[in-house]
Amino acid sequence: MFEFLTHSRLPPLTDPHKTIVVTGVGVVSPYGIGLDSMQAGMLSGKSCLEPAKDDVYPGFTGTIAQVRALPPLEEYSNPQYSRTDQLAVMAAQDAMASSGCDRSALLDAGIVMASTLGGLTEIDTSIAKDPAAWYRRPGGLLRAASYPFAHVADAVGEHFGIRGPRCAISVACASGAMAIALAANMLLDGAAPIVLAGGCDPLCPFTVSGFNSLQALDPNPCTPFDQNRKGLNLGEGSAVLILETLAAATARNANVLAVLRGWAMTNDAFHPTAPQKEGSGLADCIRLSMEMAEVTGDDIGYVNAHGTGTPLNDSAEAQAYETAFRGRKLPIPISSTKSYFGHCLGAAGALEAAITIMAIRAGALIPTLRLATPIETPAVDWLRGEVKRQPLPLAMSASSGFGGSNTVLIFESGQA
Amino acid sequence: MTSRLPSVTITGIGSVSPHGPLAGLIPSAPLEPTVISAWTTPGPRRAFLVPPFRPADVVPGVKTRRLDRLSVWALVASSLAIKDAGIDLNQVDRSRVAVVFATAFGCVELTEAFYLSAAANGWNGTDPITFPETLASAPTSHVAMFHQLRGPNITVSNKYFSGESAMIQAASLLRHGQADLAIVLAGDALARTLYSWYEEANLLSPACLNSDPVPEAGGFIPSEGVAALVMESSTRPSTRSYARINSSRWSSGGQPAGGISQMLGSSMPSFIICSGNGAPCATSPTAALAREIAGDGAIVVEPKSLAQGLAGTGALFHLILGLSSKPGSQPIGKEALFLATARDNGFAAMLLELP
Repeated sequence: MFEFLTHSRLPPLTDPHKTIVVTGVGVVSPYGIGLDSMQAGMLSGKSCLEPAKDDVYPGFTGTIAQVRALPPLEEYSNPQYSRTDQLAVMAAQDAMASSGCDRSALLDAGIVMASTLGGLTEIDTSIAKDPAAWYRRPGGLLRAASYPFAHVADAVGEHFGIRGPRCAISVACASGAMAIALAANMLLDGAAPIVLAGGCDPLCPFTVSGFNSLQALDPNPCTPFDQNRKGLNLGEGSAVLILETLAAATARNANVLAVLRGWAMTNDAFHPTAPQKEGSGLADCIRLSMEMAEVTGDDIGYVNAHGTGTPLNDSAEAQAYETAFRGRKLPIPISSTKSYFGHCLGAAGALEAAITIMAIRAGALIPTLRLATPIETPAVDWLRGEVKRQPLPLAMSASSGFGGSNTVLIFESGQA
Repeated sequence: MTSRLPSVTITGIGSVSPHGPLAGLIPSAPLEPTVISAWTTPGPRRAFLVPPFRPADVVPGVKTRRLDRLSVWALVASSLAIKDAGIDLNQVDRSRVAVVFATAFGCVELTEAFYLSAAANGWNGTDPITFPETLASAPTSHVAMFHQLRGPNITVSNKYFSGESAMIQAASLLRHGQADLAIVLAGDALARTLYSWYEEANLLSPACLNSDPVPEAGGFIPSEGVAALVMESSTRPSTRSYARINSSRWSSGGQPAGGISQMLGSSMPSFIICSGNGAPCATSPTAALAREIAGDGAIVVEPKSLAQGLAGTGALFHLILGLSSKPGSQPIGKEALFLATARDNGFAAMLLELP
């Protein structure tokens, strides 16, 4: 099986104890629950973006993507669960189902869950005026208990009785991808035999208002990497990957969905909200991830970009790709799948990791929707129009966030 | 499972605590809670509060206008730790420096302010400058920006072991060559909503409400501050070492004694620094477990009240205070155990080598 994973063009993976593989993918997205529903929706070109119609807060009339069809919540009825927790638990359950792992196999698993919101969904503005009165409301103290973002990891751990090392991270919009990178480090450390890692964030007045105040939102469906882009749309969702070493996966005869071949994390150290203009932090991150993966730019078949649709992000990100893939024989195929269901903040990096794995497995280069006049970047083949079908042994997912954090993940097909 | 990998060294310490901003170890001077004046309380309310200070007096050139106090303290504590480690950042490849910050509640003061602006002006009238500063990761990114640190920049949290989690994640980055140096921080700031939550949940010590600072009869005295460590994978010439982390193990349940014994292997530390958060039941079980593991002859440093009130992010303070109280007269050997436990049998343990 080990040789089976080694693609002829790529350097061989030499140590099954140091090779990190993905054996489960769980998704809750505006397409529904599961990778299959997301794949069917995206490959058919369906956009989940729609007018808000006062769904988020009265007076907000922008464009959003919602997870509408949550399953019956009996299983998730713990009064301490925020909507963020519910999304996380559902995605973790879906990941466990996809991996064929029963709960006993996950008893000592590690958990790294990301969220930018935590339990802010359960709190309203009146708490700031009179906190004591807010806590005295029925269920007030219980709802407050879900506020710390650590609660998301606890909800997953406690719901499934998982007792390995556990932490949550919050690194703005790079959170979900960084959770996966840190989970991989935990496996290399031997801190846990298997790790559930991902991100979750729901729509919430707090964040929608915040991005609206920053004038970062496009009132219409967003157009990432278009010269006439006007901003982002917010979405919601959750994704959880099950990661383990190849040796462990082989020992339990698990189905390897993908190899996490490389990962890297950097920071721009530039500005609280704006990316460094030339995208140097992201370019460094791409270079470091390729060094770890022992691959070159020519080996990467597709990049799932951060691609928010904001003027500043997309121009800096395009510059980063121009720098990182300079010298490549052919322009690098890149798209932003935020054009399908918006920016899911702390979930985005994990959802896009799932999409990247899906692209590899389906052999599908997924285009950016509504991309009419792409940014002029010679090193990049901005994917638009129809889905391109071709074998895709190696693909990259790039994430960036407020505060300058960048994370890049490189996935390789689990099948030669 | 145990991580027994190449060791990393703690070479610098900085803190902003109720003792004020300090580089290096914290003197074991007694401290009494002070009366809260930053917001209106139903009567006198006390906590271990960071005394007001001008950040630029401690860190020349630092600009902190419109930042949450948590971000300000992170900037100051990180600067003091770097100075204490004797590091000239101009001689360091800053793309190889990581920042790992642990917080339970993030920038809760500015989160309150954002809610207040929404209450006053509606959600369509909130403040665009405040919003990005409400992110839990804002202090971490400010540390990176101020010191121009371009390595991994991570904000972590864990209900009981946030500080330990940050140390373990940072050690992992160093061991895997993803950074050469890491600034590890942990802390939280007290705000009105937080204090009110503790009070409504009956978690506060009577010492918070009475002028007489009674020894804690249940409950805890909330605290605030940020502690910082510099951790390095290889020791520079003539670098001081506060401690080396030789192995670690953490879990959310199971059998703590067995797991920790497995981590220790043949090591038998006789100096144990206990960590623990503010929950009333958190303190004595940790010390009891420490004695169960190391025997009655071991010197066990109980969690210090100053840091007990930091929910889950007090670990770095507990470690610093423990190292500060290391007995000079008694032989304690070269090995120490840094230990924390939680109600659900979770634990975090690190085997330290002392200089």
